[in-house]
Amino acid sequence: MTPSRLSFALLVTARALSAQGVVIAPHAVFIDARTRSGAVLLYNPNAEPAEVSVSFFFGYPVTDSLGRIVVDSIRADSTSPSAAGWLQAFPRRLSVPPLERRTIRLLAVPPSPLKDREYWARLVIAARGGSLPVTGAADTARVKVGLTLEVRTVIGVFYRQGAVQTGVAVSGLRTALVGDSLAVWARLTQLGNAAFIGTVRAVLVDASDRTRAALKAPIHVFNTMQPRYTLSIGALAPGRYRLKLELSSEREDLAPELVLPSPTVRDSVEVSVP
Amino acid sequence: MASSVGISAPVIGQALSVTTLASLNFGSVPQGTPTTVAPTAAGAGAWQVQGEKGADVTISFILPVLLTNIQALPGSTMPITFDPTAARWNRGTNNVATAAVFDPSTGTTAKLGPASSPAIYLWIGGTVTPAATAKPGIYSGTIVVTIAYL
Repeated sequence: MTPSRLSFALLVTARALSAQGVVIAPHAVFIDARTRSGAVLLYNPNAEPAEVSVSFFFGYPVTDSLGRIVVDSIRADSTSPSAAGWLQAFPRRLSVPPLERRTIRLLAVPPSPLKDREYWARLVIAARGGSLPVTGAADTARVKVGLTLEVRTVIGVFYRQGAVQTGVAVSGLRTALVGDSLAVWARLTQLGNAAFIGTVRAVLVDASDRTRAALKAPIHVFNTMQPRYTLSIGALAPGRYRLKLELSSEREDLAPELVLPSPTVRDSVEVSVP
Repeated sequence: MASSVGISAPVIGQALSVTTLASLNFGSVPQGTPTTVAPTAAGAGAWQVQGEKGADVTISFILPVLLTNIQALPGSTMPITFDPTAARWNRGTNNVATAAVFDPSTGTTAKLGPASSPAIYLWIGGTVTPAATAKPGIYSGTIVVTIAYL
């Protein structure tokens, strides 16, 4: 993972005016046990310097009782696959001048011996602009109020030790009509010793196997989760339909060599529209 | 203004940016009278989140409860509150009028827009309650917005 391998470019729409914040790439960092290092690049597209600080915590996406996917900090114990305690960032604080780039180096110093598997952490990148957003600040005879906004971006860090493999199992697929939408739930269970990273596709087909609604979204499965998805179906004629769910290890936003391959998993369930 | 930004890394093909488009600004407020900036108002705080199309993110806030006068003697403060409808988000469209309402104290989960606009727009308002005896000067605080990429 050396800078000389840096090899892609992208267009990012940046804002002028009072914009603050930094562009961060990548949105997920994969570190292997051979190099034990990674990098995150920051770009400040704004006219003012951005003050940036970096920290780690242990956490991964889970689903709440409503099926929403959230990232919570998780108290790590001796059995937790946490890398948060032995990842280091250099520097941890920096200033990114306007229209310039900076690199944050990540170094893993894992305990030894370390069991083969994938270890997880979340990297927090906090960026704060410098100026207080109050006009007429020199007028000290009036009461004025302005709030500074700080942005914290949280991305995943994956440390792979030894042989790692993944997969996903689907169970409990069910649906419910909610207004002009179809809600879809499934229990997703990670297999192997690494998170499942891939794409979920849901397709609603009619009796002629014609697609009536579809969605596609990137997904990470850590341990077990029960996400809820919503397909906009509009006004469907009464009848029987079928909801097809597919999880594959394809990701358009990640380099193929970083995504652990696994068999595509499919399930389906009948949907009755009254 | 659109800028071409060359960012390179061996690990992925997408970047993530959270840009503050506007800070929450109440301007001058009358002493003894609560002042509210709605999330739809010109003074509302606003952000743009860009990333992978269709990706899920969680949005959460750390909200101040007291603002501090940074020009007067220490101890001059002003309460600030955020009601359950003080925040909004919109998928791929910079239009607060059609944005979904959410409670900033609990946050929400959102999905970035499609390939044509892989973004989320956020807005937040609030209410300040200056005392009748509030000292003149600038009352300041910090709102922290956290965007967690799932």
